[in-house]
Order: sequence, then C-alpha cells, then structure tokens
Amino acid sequence: MLPSGVFFTDHAAEAGLLRTLPQRLWLAALLAALVLLPLVAGAHLIGLLTMLCITAIAVLGLQITTGMAGQVNLGQSAFVGAGAFVAARLALAGLPLPLVLPLAGLAAAAGSVAFALPAMRVKGFYLALTTLAAQVMFPILIIRLPAAWFGGADGLGVDPPTVAGIRLGGATAMYLLCLGVLVVMATAAFNVGRSRAGRAFRAMRDNDNAARVLGIDPLRTKLAAFFAGAFFAGVAGALYAYQVRYVTTEQFTLWQSVWYVGMLLVGGMTQPLGAILGTLFVTLLQEMLRSAGGALLDADVGLQGGAIFAATNVLLGSVILAGLIFEPRGLAHRWGLVVAAYRIWPYPHR
Amino acid sequence: MIELAQTTIGGVLTGLVYGLVALSFVVIYRAARIVNVAQGQLVLVGAFLLWTAASALGLPLWLAVPAALAGTGLLGVVLERLVFRPLVGQSGFTIVLATIALLVLLQGLVQLLWGAETRPFPAVLPSGSLHLGPFRLNRTLLLGGVLTVLLTEVLHWFFLHTREGLRLAAVAEDHFTALSMGISVRRATTIAWLLGGALACLAAMVLLSGRLLGASAAGIGFVALPVALLGGLESVRGAALAGVIVGVGEALASAYLDPLTNGAMSPIFPFALMVIVLLIRPQGLFGWRVIERL
Repeated sequence: MLPSGVFFTDHAAEAGLLRTLPQRLWLAALLAALVLLPLVAGAHLIGLLTMLCITAIAVLGLQITTGMAGQVNLGQSAFVGAGAFVAARLALAGLPLPLVLPLAGLAAAAGSVAFALPAMRVKGFYLALTTLAAQVMFPILIIRLPAAWFGGADGLGVDPPTVAGIRLGGATAMYLLCLGVLVVMATAAFNVGRSRAGRAFRAMRDNDNAARVLGIDPLRTKLAAFFAGAFFAGVAGALYAYQVRYVTTEQFTLWQSVWYVGMLLVGGMTQPLGAILGTLFVTLLQEMLRSAGGALLDADVGLQGGAIFAATNVLLGSVILAGLIFEPRGLAHRWGLVVAAYRIWPYPHR
Repeated sequence: MIELAQTTIGGVLTGLVYGLVALSFVVIYRAARIVNVAQGQLVLVGAFLLWTAASALGLPLWLAVPAALAGTGLLGVVLERLVFRPLVGQSGFTIVLATIALLVLLQGLVQLLWGAETRPFPAVLPSGSLHLGPFRLNRTLLLGGVLTVLLTEVLHWFFLHTREGLRLAAVAEDHFTALSMGISVRRATTIAWLLGGALACLAAMVLLSGRLLGASAAGIGFVALPVALLGGLESVRGAALAGVIVGVGEALASAYLDPLTNGAMSPIFPFALMVIVLLIRPQGLFGWRVIERL
C-alpha cells in the first residue's frame, strides 16, 4: 500500500518493483550496509551470512516452483547438489566462474526437467513424489558413477574462484560474490512474479483446470516452473562448492530439502520476499540454538551433542505447523502489514 | 534355478513387510485423504514405544505389544486432534506440507526423547529360518507376511462391507461432500489416524524384531511410499500386492543387476518403478481414477 498522495500516470511506473524514492533509498541503504558489513563484522558472522545468501538463492528457486506454481518440490537439495557437483567438475576443468555459475544452473535445471516429465500425466502430490525420487536417487547415482566424473563417494575438491584475474580466496571476497549473485537472482525472482510466465504459474497453482481453459499449457508451465526453480538451485550449488571448497553427496540430503521447504513455509510461500525472510528467520533460529546448545555443552549438564540438532528439528517442525495453522501466509504477510501500518501512520485505516 | 526361486521367495517375504507399511499409508489416505509423509516416523515412534515397554520397563511381551500398539494409535489420534483437525477443508497441498513439518518434528522428538544411539530391539516374532525342501524361509518375515495378508483381508472387508468403512470412503472422496451427507469428517480422520498409528507400530515389530533399532529405521517410510503408490493409494489389497512386486523386483535387481551396476540398481528400483508407474498409470494398479471437470 502506498502513502497518501502518491499516484502514477503511466503503467510502467505503477508496475515497478520499487515505486517511490523512499523505497529506492531504503533498499540502497540496506545494500550499502550489507556491502560495508565486512569492515566491522567478525569472520564467523561473515561466514554465516555467506551461507545464508547461498541458502536464500536455493529457497528463492523453491519459491518459484512451490510457491508460485504450486508444485511441491521435495528434491531441491538434490538439485543444489547437482549444481555443486557440475560446478566442481567444470572448475576443475579450468572454466572461469562467470561460465561455471550459469552452466551449473542449467545442468541442475535440465536434471529437474527429467523428473518433472511425469507432470504430463499426474499432478499435485504425485508430482512431489517424483521429486522425492530425484532426491533419493541423487546420492546413489553420484556414488556409483565412474569416480573420474564426479569423484564417487570421495567427492571433489574445488579451488577458490578467479574473476577477472583476481583470486577470490578470502571470506570477505566470497561473501561479496554470494551477496552480488543473491541480488541478481532475487531481482530475477521478483521479476518472474510479474511476467507472463509468473502469471501463468499462479493461474495454474490456483486452479489448473481453469488455467487450461485460459490457454495455458499445463505441461509446459510445470516444466518451466521446475526448470526455473532448479536453475536457482544449481547456481546456489555452484556457490556452495566454491564456498565450502569440497563437495560430497552427504551435504545434499533429503533432510536439507525438507529444511528448504520449511524455510519457505515460515517465510510465506506466495512472495519471493517470503523466501528471504524465511531463510533469515530459520538460519537465525538455528544459530541461536547452536550457540545456546554450545553453552549448555560447555556447562556440562549431561546433554548429548545430537540433542541440539534434535531440538532444532522439534522447533522447526513446531514453527512450520504453527505457521500453517495460524498464519499460512507466513512472515512476508506480517511484514507487509507492518510496512502498510508505517506508511499510513498515524491513520489506522487507509 | 533354485537360486532364482530362493531370491524370489526372499523378495516376496520382504515385500510383504513393505506392503504392511504401505497399508498404514493406505488406511490414512483411504479414510482422511491425507498422504502422511511422516509415516516412517510413526513407525519409528512405535518401535521406540515397544522398546521402552519391553526392554526399558521390562514388561512381558503380551503386555508390551498391546501397550505399544495403543500408544502409537493414541499418538495418531493426538496428531489428528492438534494438527489435522484445524486443517480440515484446506487444500491437499497444505496438508502435505503439514505432514512434512510433522516428519521434522517427530524425528527430532524421537531423538530428543530416546537419544541417537542404536539398541537391540526385542524379538517379538520367533527368529531363525525354516527349511522347506531346498529353500530357506526367514521365520520372522514369514509370520509377518501371514499377518500382512490377514490384515489386508480384514481391512478390505472393513472398508468395503461395513457401514463405518463406507463412511470413511466417502470422506476420502471429498471432505465437503461427506459433510453435506451428514458424515463426520472428524470422526473419520480420528479413526484413520488410530488405525494408521497402530499399523505403523505393527510394521515396526515385523520389520525390526530381533534387529537393531536406531533413528534411521524411519527410512522404511520412503521405501513404502512408492509401494503404496504402485498399488493405488485407495486400494487396501493393492498395497500388499504392490509390496510383493517391489520386494521381488528389488531382490532380483539386487541378485542379478547389482553386480553389473556397482550395486546401484536395488536401492533405485522402487523409485524408478514409481516414476514409470506415474507415467503409465498415475492412479496405481488399483487406485481410483479421478475425472476432473471445471
């Protein structure tokens, strides 16, 4: 909702993502703060934020597939893994980062289409099962393929990337790279939502039979949704490979896929903003539990290390369930309410 | 030739266990139209409850088994009351997501309550093998298989020939239609979760009897999901039959294809079969064919 007195005289301004000067200034300030953060923040926080950017890209992809197009995807982690392995392989072959990122994305996207093909016959929950199949088959396939391809069970090591002759070895460089890619991908995700493809996705999510009547080809739209979502996953996987410098199948589990879905649900499925808020919220939650658990372990109260992981799961499961029952529209909706209240203040209603 | 027959027999018996877990999927779907992704975790809870009753508390088996069955059934009812009743009438999409959340929650809860280490599971069914001519039969799996077949027939009769079962079928068809016909969706879902929980506990007993129990036992849920799908989510008898098909296929793939593919075929088999089934006959072998109109 816009403040009183703001109106537009042409459609392009009305449909823009950032419509007023204060919006642009706030966003610029946020980005500047994020870019300048390494000057003051410690190495731990920078590492955490780098992983957060990478996860956010994967969840943004999931938002397109699941939130926009309504196709439950239980295999996002496998697609991230596919991107990571392809990126590691290409980086070892000596390709530069600007080529590796899109190629890894395309490889993951191509893989996802193979598993989305049953969409021509089934829909809804059944389609989610084929993504589950993708997730289960992924580690089995990677390990059994010849070790010369993807390193088999040992995985692959990755060298730090080089961009325009500069070696991005340090934590700060990786952070800025991941942040930059996140900004690009988030812009793309927000724009998908207001493109023809995005409208087709939403029409199909809301009522696929009605969408067909409107002339939307369900098979093509579903494949496109999976393709786009897995492209994001592949890019996230490539960044992950560069950040962690080592990829094995154990990093890309079904469990991780479930977490991605959880993040999206907590944040709110219907908007890309929800993906970012959800990732932020769940990552912070995880981190808080981890440090609280660490303190408890140090205090030595007879707690096992696995209990913290278990407690995180209990908390995440409860948060998702509470969200589904009490606020299905997620944090993004609440955030929208806060923003609207701020803009029309001091009036309670428009 | 004898090796082939032996492999097939082993596959049939393992497959019937898959069928039993698939049956617990089917029961919940058949009565509440909920595909419970967290079924493997229910199996896990059932297993740990029995372990607590029989090993930790030292109850005799004739007391521990009904206690664990009742406990898991009760958990199902509690889940229905707290999670799925507020979601009655919501889209299937929301409900699937709720079961995913439940999967995370239950897995964490089990680990928090019982710890992560593996432990021996009480031998509920007799172990050892039965020699029949040139063949060896695993006694545990054989008894489990007989149990599965009996249960299948009983449940088939319940769903198709009793008034209560037919009410459940109406709820599975459509929540709103069922409500407008005066059928209580709440009652149906409660019965579904009670049955689904008890069956999960039963499956845990057959699956784990005399073996090791750990948090990874929940993985059976994801193996049984393709089985339930192949049989058709609405079909009670289909679950057992599909279990046999998947079990035999997996055993044969393990014996004859794994040496050629570096051991990749047998773990992939159920899922590859599932994708093929979805492509050719989406409703499974005996599922209901749904015709949608605008």
